[in-house]
Amino acid sequence: MVGIVLVSHSAELAQGLSELARQMAGPDVRIVPAGGGPDGRLGTSGDLVKSAIECAEQGDGVVVLCDLGSSILTVRHLLEGNGNGSGERVRLVDAPLVEGAIAAAVVSSAARPLDEVVSAAEEARGASKL
Amino acid sequence: MAPASSEVEVQLPEGVALHARPASLFVRTAMTFQSRITVMAGDRVADAKSILKVLALGAGGGTRLSLAADGPDATAALAALADCVANLSD
Repeated sequence: MVGIVLVSHSAELAQGLSELARQMAGPDVRIVPAGGGPDGRLGTSGDLVKSAIECAEQGDGVVVLCDLGSSILTVRHLLEGNGNGSGERVRLVDAPLVEGAIAAAVVSSAARPLDEVVSAAEEARGASKL
Repeated sequence: MAPASSEVEVQLPEGVALHARPASLFVRTAMTFQSRITVMAGDRVADAKSILKVLALGAGGGTRLSLAADGPDATAALAALADCVANLSD
């Protein structure tokens, strides 16, 4: 199944969202939080994101969702530095974090391929809540 | 086999809204079928395979849902979804 990595400046935010997404997607999807900086404070850490991606990969690819600003730069920097071809299977998605995570996790739980999981997260951009 | 379309009405159990976990069970059941499936609550309609759209229906416990499916496994899809809805719990 496609893995999901949740990158946030806040460890608690990423952790809480991973719990919510897991409740909705079931136990078979690997949903890995990568929140907070190297010092445990607010921020993002390339090393933390890297190990989260490795943990989320089950052979079907990984979708990475971010909260804001520098978290996206952190992931981009990491993926651009990937010269071994794994970048194709690790996809940074432009989507709202909460809705994108839930949509991606539920679609992944149906054992759908990476492209479909990416599309589901991207569709969250236009999804009305009310 | 020619594609078939089919419709059914079901009712959410009292006290069980189509939110978080129940909604995801419903959507995950829908995703196991090829047919295009819609769910209607009142005058709102959603793609039954889209968790965000199903959540946005805001269907509360006891709400009547109209399910419609179009495709090769439409009948089986609606039977499975009707069973899923009847057995939802919070």
